[in-house]
Amino acid sequence: MIRKILHLDLDAFFCAVEEQRDPSLVGQPFAVGGRPDQRGVVASCSYPARTFGIHSAMPMARAVRLCPQLIVVPSRHQAYSTVSKQVMAQLHSMTPLVEQLSIDEAFLDVTDLPDPAEQLARQLQVTILDKLALPNSLGVATNKLVAKIANNVGKASALKGRTPNAITVVPAGHEAAFLAPLPVSELWGVGPKTAESLVRLGLHTIGDIARQPEKDLVRRFGKHGLDLARRAKGIDDRPVETEHEAKSISQETTFAQDVTDREKLRITLRRQSEQVGRRMRKAELFGSTVRLKIRWADFTTLTRQVTLTQPTQLDNEIYEHVLHLFDTVWPDGKRVRLIGVGVSNFDAPARQLELWGNNNEADQRLQDTLDTLRDRFGNQAIRRGNQLKKRRS
Amino acid sequence: MKVSCLQENLAKGLSIVGRAVASRSTLPVLSNVLMKTDNGQLKLSANNFELGINCWVGAKIDTEGAITVPARLLSEFVNSLPPERIDMELDEQTQTLNLRCARVESNIKGIDADEFPNVAGVSEDDIIIKLEPESLRLMIKQVVFAAATDESRPVFTGVLVRFNGDTLTMAAADGFRLSVKATALNQSASQVVEDHSEVSSLIIPGRALTELSRVSGDQEQPIELVVTPSRRQVIFRMQDVELVSQLIEGDFPDYTRIIPKGHTTRSVLETASFLKAVRISHLFARDSANIVKLEISPSGDELMNGRVTLVATSAELGDNVSDMDASIDGEAVEVAFNAKYLIDVLSIVDTPQFILETSSPSSPGVFRPVGDDGFTHVIMPMHIQGR
Repeated sequence: MIRKILHLDLDAFFCAVEEQRDPSLVGQPFAVGGRPDQRGVVASCSYPARTFGIHSAMPMARAVRLCPQLIVVPSRHQAYSTVSKQVMAQLHSMTPLVEQLSIDEAFLDVTDLPDPAEQLARQLQVTILDKLALPNSLGVATNKLVAKIANNVGKASALKGRTPNAITVVPAGHEAAFLAPLPVSELWGVGPKTAESLVRLGLHTIGDIARQPEKDLVRRFGKHGLDLARRAKGIDDRPVETEHEAKSISQETTFAQDVTDREKLRITLRRQSEQVGRRMRKAELFGSTVRLKIRWADFTTLTRQVTLTQPTQLDNEIYEHVLHLFDTVWPDGKRVRLIGVGVSNFDAPARQLELWGNNNEADQRLQDTLDTLRDRFGNQAIRRGNQLKKRRS
Repeated sequence: MKVSCLQENLAKGLSIVGRAVASRSTLPVLSNVLMKTDNGQLKLSANNFELGINCWVGAKIDTEGAITVPARLLSEFVNSLPPERIDMELDEQTQTLNLRCARVESNIKGIDADEFPNVAGVSEDDIIIKLEPESLRLMIKQVVFAAATDESRPVFTGVLVRFNGDTLTMAAADGFRLSVKATALNQSASQVVEDHSEVSSLIIPGRALTELSRVSGDQEQPIELVVTPSRRQVIFRMQDVELVSQLIEGDFPDYTRIIPKGHTTRSVLETASFLKAVRISHLFARDSANIVKLEISPSGDELMNGRVTLVATSAELGDNVSDMDASIDGEAVEVAFNAKYLIDVLSIVDTPQFILETSSPSSPGVFRPVGDDGFTHVIMPMHIQGR
């Protein structure tokens, strides 16, 4: 059966939200992200800013050098997350078959809807623009791979400095022909390394790959070669997955300046443990592996993990274990660039009660109360005392 | 040293001391077995510091002496020999043991016996309590499996042995379950205990008791429990075998407090059919944290049987429901247990029926064999989380 798949991507999403807050930003070169003097990076930049060669993930300091009049707007993740939820709700009102890829990106399977896919795409674009004032672009194809690439191509061909608001349709049967002229790097699963190897073999476009005998690609790239061959021909039968099953939940922080103070690192781990714990409780997950990730000032990164006897979702337990891991790896005073907490190895939500022990009942009750307060009054409404910085009188 | 003995006797002796041989030791001599002439017998000793075993083997002694040789090589070699006489002679100069049996001859290089750590013997100040081997083995079987195998809390790897008046009690727990067995002491033993209140409680490593149970298999004479004055170790003395164990230091938590005084539901179940049902549940439960849910439903009519239903569910594999009749007094209750813990305890219940006392999904379940008053087993339930 021929499917109808849409790929929706919000255009410069964070910037669009910021423009709603401060309409004076409209038409200006601005970037959302961290401060240039604190090693911030560009999270999103307006289309006028992109004409200066600025793009997301670029160090903010470099963006400012490229465009000295660049307006730097600090990011407000809470706000973006709220708006993103509204967008996703809008998508769900069209079909339950929605696979959210990120905060501003999703696939929809609209095969079962009677209208032509292009018309449905147009309808969605207008609704989101009207109701939420968010410019957005869509790719339309018979599978996820081609729909996403179509959208990338459509957005890239928009006029310089203008919001794309694009819709790009690849009709059934034209997938391979559409992909053929595109550079190999457009293909999913082709990172810089693979792209380099392909170019060395004389394969520059996706069409070049498609023309290669499958056998040769398998010999050269192993199992991955088979995927390459199929994708290059525009074949992709992965379904739109409505339930994204998480394998781990983690939270990490890159410090604006390297940190050597144990107290500051400890407070960061405490906060991250709370964030991870809260996400686990919302997803009703219990994990039995707690992981610490730490990156030193010289960029060497190490992870250490511990497997618990009982799965948990409690902030205190996550924190206790991660702090213990931290104390075993951190030589006093060593400069830390990044630190993070993760929980994985999700398990049945059961706890073997102990003969001698409080069985975490009090901890569980406290956790429930904290969650309730934060749900009603916001994340900053209540904090643990040891989360506060120590002040000497 | 020049000694002869029968292959069967030496092989058996080596298998008895074999469990006390250190498997990975920084001290090479601990991987050896000590052979020493002793009062017209050949004494074999192994010691890994936690546990030491001495065993005496009948032998013809021509010249006294002692040597240590690699335990594994010696026992594998002796096991391969025909059931005939083995002649052993030590070359003192090279510390090499020459062994001849039938048409086989070997020379095994040894380490000087003086390097072997001394296993303390029994002295005059020791307190000796005589225990019946049969009942001691039963106690060990019913208790030691509940001891912890991981070392995170050392006292839990041990068995609490308590003498109180004319009663000997053993208790072991791993933090999630508790096994307690009490038996009456004979008169001489309770007299000794009365005279020496300082031996009232000892924590003996579970592993040592498991070994004791193994090596005492054919003992009929009372086993002597010897407590040394320093109370750092105990010796179990049997016919031809002596087992020396270090004691675990620390305080065993008060287990009497966690045995519930009352219950709201009391079920009498058939041991064999319940064990069978749990084993079936476990096929599904082992994929899902071993959770088996027991739904205990009284009939509400004195003349009718109640029912206990076992439910195991695995998200990936499927599910299983078994039920059985039971005589139930009290309220209906649902409680989940680790299937493995249920299998462990039911496997050592010797009586056809057992009693399960419960109160709530989060309070301990108490297991008592019908007709074995001295035995109590407590398992903490599993709490199904999430709101």
